[in-house]
Amino acid sequence: MLKKLTLICSLLAGTAAMAQDTVPIPPMDVDAARAELGKRLFYDTRLSGDTSLSCASCHSPEMAFTDGEALSQAYTGAAHFRNAPTLANVGYRDAWMHDGRLGTNLNDVAREMITETYLMNMDMRIMQERLKQDPKYVEMFAAAGMSEPGNGGARNALMDFMKTIVSRGAPVDTGELSDAAMRGKGIFEGKANCAACHSGVRYTDDKPYNTGVPSNPDIWADPARHSAFVTYAKFMGVENYMNLREDLGAYIRTHRPETKRSFLTPTLRELVWTAPYMHNGTFATLEEVVDFYDAGGGDDPLKDARLKPLGLVPSEKADLVAYLEAMSGETFDVDQYVWRDDDYDYELIEDWKNVQN
Amino acid sequence: MKHLTAFAVSLATLVAMPAMAQDRPDNLAALGPPPIPADNPMTPEKIALGEKLFFDPILSGNNGMPCSACHAPSAGWAVQDKISFGYPGTTHWRNSQTIINSAYYGKLFWAGASGSLEKQARSAARGGVAGNGEDDMMEARLAFVPEYREAFTDVFGDDWPSVRHAYMAIAAYQRTLVQTDTPFDNYMNGDDAALTDQQKRGLELFTGKANCAACHNGALLSDEAYYNTGVPPYDGWEDDPIAQITFRFELFAKGSTEEMYRSTKDDPGLYFRTKQKADKGKFRTPSLRYTKYTFPYMHNGMLETLRDVVVFYNEGGGENEFSANKSELIQPLGLNDDEIDDIVAFLESLSGDEILPEEPDVPEMQPLPVADNN
Repeated sequence: MLKKLTLICSLLAGTAAMAQDTVPIPPMDVDAARAELGKRLFYDTRLSGDTSLSCASCHSPEMAFTDGEALSQAYTGAAHFRNAPTLANVGYRDAWMHDGRLGTNLNDVAREMITETYLMNMDMRIMQERLKQDPKYVEMFAAAGMSEPGNGGARNALMDFMKTIVSRGAPVDTGELSDAAMRGKGIFEGKANCAACHSGVRYTDDKPYNTGVPSNPDIWADPARHSAFVTYAKFMGVENYMNLREDLGAYIRTHRPETKRSFLTPTLRELVWTAPYMHNGTFATLEEVVDFYDAGGGDDPLKDARLKPLGLVPSEKADLVAYLEAMSGETFDVDQYVWRDDDYDYELIEDWKNVQN
Repeated sequence: MKHLTAFAVSLATLVAMPAMAQDRPDNLAALGPPPIPADNPMTPEKIALGEKLFFDPILSGNNGMPCSACHAPSAGWAVQDKISFGYPGTTHWRNSQTIINSAYYGKLFWAGASGSLEKQARSAARGGVAGNGEDDMMEARLAFVPEYREAFTDVFGDDWPSVRHAYMAIAAYQRTLVQTDTPFDNYMNGDDAALTDQQKRGLELFTGKANCAACHNGALLSDEAYYNTGVPPYDGWEDDPIAQITFRFELFAKGSTEEMYRSTKDDPGLYFRTKQKADKGKFRTPSLRYTKYTFPYMHNGMLETLRDVVVFYNEGGGENEFSANKSELIQPLGLNDDEIDDIVAFLESLSGDEILPEEPDVPEMQPLPVADNN
């Protein structure tokens, strides 16, 4: 599917006469009842250990399912060491997490988020019993073809809901590019060569690169963040984790030194909603990101060799930003993506002794 | 434990020799010092570290639930409610047991699930309805506290604090939380005036007509064996949805067949360790020491006062889902009200003064020194 889309995309990109930059990203095939169940689960704080966080706490529909923070908040008593990525088109990704450590499916991603100690810190055996105590879930699991609420089913439902989160109505899709954006497109594909990595309909190749993004000092200054990082590095089998003061990115799964500090190319979809930028939120604006690449990226001995100073003049930078902004579509803060009812209640099971558990 | 019993018996013999004014029951004893495991010797520094850790929320999932949350000194080092609170968003499913004299038990938890205080501390810190912590995270946090880095190096020789060592320090601290000078101990050690006449009558009944000492014997007043005495199920399962959630979680997490998971409505207790049907509803005989401060009583707190407990046994115990396993030792006792009062008075002699130490200041996490990534 992706290959076909990429092909179409490059064909289109090669046709300079066409105003339309790419094709709209098609909806993914999901079970509607399961996705609806997933939508309710996505906004339910009872999926976290102390019932303080839902998925939406860090992936808010108002910000294209990000949280607006440089570094995400994470679980009570902890703080995260990475930026919350957008969930727009998340079902199309080849791998998930900035380091790409999850490469299977969104069911596994949901499990990781729910159970990880510094994320939602949920013992899913408790989660399952919580779901069973909510008659609305009992009803929705049945409607989705499941005999009763369960963890595997909940994760599948979250997966299907996440698959429905697909960009709509971006100027790059509708063909309504401004003149500036059109010029920016030329720079993106030409002089600046952003498209070398930011390719395809999602503007990403889902591969890790070291671009020399500076470390975010807030990670190491805050024991709550740094201790979450230590937990992660230790679990991933990184040697000497107590003395690390850098995020090793994809190295934590490859353990090959040349992959240190490399991070997956992020999608460029929905950027107007998802500031700040980069895996550690170190840049507040798209202008800063463009300046960073114009300067040839950051300072790192392992930096990708293709990164060179671009020599963009201010008008070219402005055009590039206009094009980047044209990759953003309509808000996700609409009923299709948001469970609006505050109907998250447990119900007492009456006649407890005689009802089957 | 055998060593202790032998010690206690010889002590009792010694003190009984000179006076002989009053006989002492030979199946009860004064409490001596607690056993110290050879692999976790006590040092003042280790105990001081364990004390801080006991009161520090750092050993929990949300950095908010110290051991002392559910074992509060002001609440008898327990929770003065039927069921322990549990982690935020949950409730527990059993009564919180006092830390006082926990050093003497061979196994910890109501059904003996932990073989040592060290293991118990780890289970409590990690349990989903208790501390809900994860070892890697808790260990990482400890490393950010300069006082702990120093103390773990001094006490255990750690480069960085090891969470296993944290549990050892906590266990060492708990082994200092003992009470060996109750009126009962003083009486057993030869002070005839340590018990009132009523308490002495209660003791007589305790070892005689009421036969409490059939199980509540030795220096701890517990045989550390497991019985179903017909304690009724926790009534919160009838009216609290969150308690219903926890109950099913425990059935599921501790290992049940599907049929058992679907149909069980009471705590199977020892069954979870042995998987023998005959062990359903059995719980370890609790020590009767320090019970003045540890109300309510039984594994699920279903009896409110010590008098309620005596009345319960006077009536031959109760009924629960697993009554087929009820101990034959539990029979109606035919005690009159005065006799019940006497036993209650004796039970009160098993508690000394309330143990209320000043709580330590808990140190804070600080940024780590700069390092060079190598």
